[in-house]
Amino acid sequence: MRPFEYHAPQDAISAVAMAGEPAPSHVTSLTQFVGGGTTLFDLMKLDVMHPARLVDITRLGDKGLQQVRRDDRGLHIGALATMAALSDDGAIAKDYPVLRDTLWQAASAQIRNMARLGGNVLQRTRCPYFRDTSYRQCNKRDPGSGCAALDGFNRMHAVLGTSTSCIASYPGDFAQALIALDAHVELLGADGPRVIRFADLHRLPEDAPQIETSLRPGELITGFLIPGGTWPRSTYVKVRDRASYAFANASAAVALKLDGGRIEDVRIGLGGVATVPWRAARAEALLKGAELTEGAAAEAAEAEFAGAAAREHNRYKIPLGKATLVRALLQAQAMEL
Amino acid sequence: MTQNTSLPISRRGFIGGGAVAISAAGLNARAEAAPASAVDQNAPHRANVRFTLNGRSRELTADTRLTLLDALRGPLALPGTKKGCDHGQCGACTVHIDGSRHLACFTLVAGLEGREVTTIEGLAEGDKLHPMQQAFIDNDAFQCGYCTPGQIMSAVACVKEGHARTDTEIREYMSGNICRCSAYPNIVAAVKQARGKI
Amino acid sequence: MMAEATPPVPEPGENMGKPLPRYEARAKVTGEPLYADDLQLPNPAIALFVTSGIARGRILQIDTAAADALPGVLKIYTHLNAPRREVTKHYTEGGYVSDSAVPLGGPDIVNDGQIVAVVVAEDFATARDAAHRIAIRYEERSPSATFGSAGAATIQPDALAAKSKKAGDFAGAYAAAPVKIDAEYSTPTMHHNPIELFSTAAAWNGERLTVHEPSQFVWQLKNGVASALGIDPENVEVRDPFVGGAFGSKGMMTQRSPLIAAIARDLRRPIRNVVLRDQGFTLATYRAETRHRLQLGATRDGKLTALSHEGWEVTSRQDDYSVAGIEATTEMYACPNIASKVSLVKADRNTPGFMRSPPETPYMYALEAAMDEMAAALAMDPVEFRRINDTKVSPVTGAPYTSRSLMECYDRAAATFGWNRRKAEPMATREGDWLIGYGCATACYPTSMMAATARAILTPSGRVEIQIAAHDVGTGAYTAMQQIAARELGVDPRMVSVRMGDTAYPPGPVAGGSMTTASAGSAVKLVCDKLKQRLGGALPSGRELEQAFDRLGTRRIEEYAEWTPPGQGKEAVQALYKGQMGGGGGAEGGKPKPLMYAFGAEFAEVRIHRLTREIRVPRLTGAFAGGHIVNPRTARSQYLGGMIWGLGQALLEQTELDELRGRYINDNLAEYLVAVNADVPEVDIIMVPEVDSQVNPLGVKGIGELANVGTAAAIANAVYNATGKRIRDLPVTMDKLLDVPA
Repeated sequence: MRPFEYHAPQDAISAVAMAGEPAPSHVTSLTQFVGGGTTLFDLMKLDVMHPARLVDITRLGDKGLQQVRRDDRGLHIGALATMAALSDDGAIAKDYPVLRDTLWQAASAQIRNMARLGGNVLQRTRCPYFRDTSYRQCNKRDPGSGCAALDGFNRMHAVLGTSTSCIASYPGDFAQALIALDAHVELLGADGPRVIRFADLHRLPEDAPQIETSLRPGELITGFLIPGGTWPRSTYVKVRDRASYAFANASAAVALKLDGGRIEDVRIGLGGVATVPWRAARAEALLKGAELTEGAAAEAAEAEFAGAAAREHNRYKIPLGKATLVRALLQAQAMEL
Repeated sequence: MTQNTSLPISRRGFIGGGAVAISAAGLNARAEAAPASAVDQNAPHRANVRFTLNGRSRELTADTRLTLLDALRGPLALPGTKKGCDHGQCGACTVHIDGSRHLACFTLVAGLEGREVTTIEGLAEGDKLHPMQQAFIDNDAFQCGYCTPGQIMSAVACVKEGHARTDTEIREYMSGNICRCSAYPNIVAAVKQARGKI
Repeated sequence: MMAEATPPVPEPGENMGKPLPRYEARAKVTGEPLYADDLQLPNPAIALFVTSGIARGRILQIDTAAADALPGVLKIYTHLNAPRREVTKHYTEGGYVSDSAVPLGGPDIVNDGQIVAVVVAEDFATARDAAHRIAIRYEERSPSATFGSAGAATIQPDALAAKSKKAGDFAGAYAAAPVKIDAEYSTPTMHHNPIELFSTAAAWNGERLTVHEPSQFVWQLKNGVASALGIDPENVEVRDPFVGGAFGSKGMMTQRSPLIAAIARDLRRPIRNVVLRDQGFTLATYRAETRHRLQLGATRDGKLTALSHEGWEVTSRQDDYSVAGIEATTEMYACPNIASKVSLVKADRNTPGFMRSPPETPYMYALEAAMDEMAAALAMDPVEFRRINDTKVSPVTGAPYTSRSLMECYDRAAATFGWNRRKAEPMATREGDWLIGYGCATACYPTSMMAATARAILTPSGRVEIQIAAHDVGTGAYTAMQQIAARELGVDPRMVSVRMGDTAYPPGPVAGGSMTTASAGSAVKLVCDKLKQRLGGALPSGRELEQAFDRLGTRRIEEYAEWTPPGQGKEAVQALYKGQMGGGGGAEGGKPKPLMYAFGAEFAEVRIHRLTREIRVPRLTGAFAGGHIVNPRTARSQYLGGMIWGLGQALLEQTELDELRGRYINDNLAEYLVAVNADVPEVDIIMVPEVDSQVNPLGVKGIGELANVGTAAAIANAVYNATGKRIRDLPVTMDKLLDVPA
């Protein structure tokens, strides 16, 4: 860690006012907001990030920042609610089981007590070549330097949404639920608030993997809105080598509305296999209106991964990603409501 | 994928109906902050903090970079809290902050103002062991003992959170504490012994 | 029906002591400062290593200016201003170090993560910041990382050739065998990853040096540091009362210790160094990757007629470290025709070293997987196949086993596990979406012993203090010594205090080879015996004891004893005082002396999801026989931990290597996967009573490295039973079970 100033403002306006200097992207901004610190301190210790100013947002007193509430527009999730708080909310577990399932299977109980949901979705990749500054090649850390993962050890890397610049996978879980449920992200910047679609928050690496999101430097995530009604038939399958406390080799968040055996509506977010939280739009299109059988699920998975591109050690992620999606669809179908 | 698209929601609408209620007046009343680029990153910045540690009030002026873990194992001289990875991957540094289990390696001393910190050294009441400590002894729930302070702090919180109802739940909610000697089944037995006494 | 798990505190069976709670239990649950880095030195400066970002090449330029300029940085050492140290050889060559490459010895880079600078600063935050500001320019060369890498040389040193075991005519018998299998297996690089990080703290007081460092052999560290610094070992004290896990990684001195001590001398200031988790992957040893070829021939009724085990192991360019586990695998089953050979592959890596059951873990995995393949080829139950080939003598030398309860272990474990429910046909058992398989394998570990010395001090109150610089790495050694002394003296264990892990005490054995209870315990027994002799053959109590002290005109009776294993002489004790492992003993050595082994049988159930193929192990059952069990509580914990280690080796553990760059990829605890609580549902431990009066006076066999030996094969064999797929390369992971298009 390089020396930094530390501030703990009491309200969001003051927090935002301390940030906002121009920077190529929010991750390279000299001012960083910090909630639980479980990503930021990790990367600062590794010298991957070196902000000059930290703005601790855990003491912001603005109403609703820490809360989860519902109204006729949908479910509002304050960005400072901890992962544990939402995971342990019994009403959420009943009406949005996919939210709970992405959370209890993420990280550890300690990290879930610390990490805030706003920061959670901005969790950065576990790509070892990104995290270790002694590797000279990493386009995400040092634009234009190359990508060591392409010819390196890439068993955990992405097969969807990759580019020749970057194949780092997005490591989070909760984001898969948010993207599946068409969430909105509420932001506050120096110029005031704005709302974007969650699907527009993360950017594909393309030729600029260093720009990970569409957040402007100094912009603060204040909350999420899951519009519309509840999704009681929804679930998250996370497949990993270790039974707990491990990143996904592949995961799938699925929300279903069934009319008998027919799929009335389906939402799918994929994780572990893609560079960003991945909305499986092709699979959804094939499934909508169809009978949900294992065969139909497999066909939809096939279509979703048709464009997948693997490297030497992550070829298995293509069959695994498909199998995970099929399993999640069948698991959601089998839920007893 | 489209980028930087704002949804057509009015500023008024957002402020009124979003997750967070923020006073519109505040936006104009914001203070001018010095640019972060002016911050000197070649010399430490210090923070003065007052917090409670194992029931005692402590005041510390610390480098903003100082983690609670390094403070405990250094100036605060409470080395019961262990460093196993310093990156949130092992759970050996688990402490309670305001009653909730947290990782001391990801906690800055600078952020502790007004917080209540409990470490393994603060768990027993004098000579009387906490029921979880006794249960760890009774069930041989450790071997080398290095992860044990973190396991015990985590286990106490696990019970208080209500995540110790079944064996499966205990295993899942204790998975953030790695025991390389692998005393796991004995740890589960200890949690079950103590859960009714906490 | 699931078997009921044995309780953490088992009822002692025949030939077992009391299941006392651990001697240090209270201190461990209250967070007392017990470990090396808990022991504070006055006003220490913090040293932090900077390690190389390439695996092979040389440093062209190292720019420390930006780091030096930070307030609080005291000094930065590089190869250009390194503190002087003497050259010390690898411990297998009569020296002390675990890797003979000298850090900061010059500009050459010989492996990934080599020390290239040491930052010394007032505090850790400053040291870490400074470390990141050091800019190094390298001339890079392409490294040879592992098997199959260009430039990696395969050799067979004489010492290794001498270990090859042969009997009868393997080639002829194999050619003639009606049933045969010929299969290749591999095990990956693994790292011990004890939760206690490696650390060294050093402080000088004039000529005298105090070192606090987690160590499995403090007298080795004392002598090794002295040797590397060119000082008298008398002037070096090492303190480390408890070790926070080691598994072999803290056994032999690394180059870090003299380097930190030399810096403390140079700066005239106590130095505290903690090795970061990622640095620990290259600044200590590891279990090298191995490859195996097993050829088995058998008659149709299941008698082995031919066995060949060929092994390949990776080592560094600078040292020829090997584990050569053919010692065990060629003597495990009755077979008249045997061949074996081990080769080393020299690569641009740091030197590997011992990790829990170093030879048996990889080699027995290969043998026991091959045995399962042969059982399947014979359409024979794997337990019965082993029964047919059970032996009470070495098939190589004809020497007898002192005791061998292998089939008793199989029978007890099979009954508890419910082995009779196994369907021999693969893919025959399914529960919902989960494919279920059963597997079993043999565990074994040789009984080794080393010389040990001990001191006992008795005071008129009846309190006894045992002093022995042996080590408790979580094994329960304090408790075992307490119980052995109490039993020998006929006193309440609460009257016995134990002091270990400090060179202020007479030297005990390395905490390795599962030797501590037998070796240190024998020395403790002997010194207690001498104490009794001083008091007329028995320890009186109460008033009589005080009178005895009065008669002797003292307030303190002190005795000292030296114990050597059978076949070793006085020179073994002299070697011990020099911090060397001495002349082996027990199962070591080339003569056809009796084979001493502890045995076990392990059973595993696996569940594999039919779609995603992830593998879970709902239960493990192990039965073990290890001679006299001093404390069944701590012994059970050793077996428990061992089997869970085995589970990790089967399914999780693997240090991933970027072969192009010769660098470890998952050098952290988030991605180097060791088992967590959720991986371990039910583990049943059965302790099979066994009496062996030949192994040593205590009748004790080593058990700490027994239980992790068979597990990986049992699980891999169960995976075959569940899926019909033989995964011969550990770990068995989902990607190997999925149909992956090329």
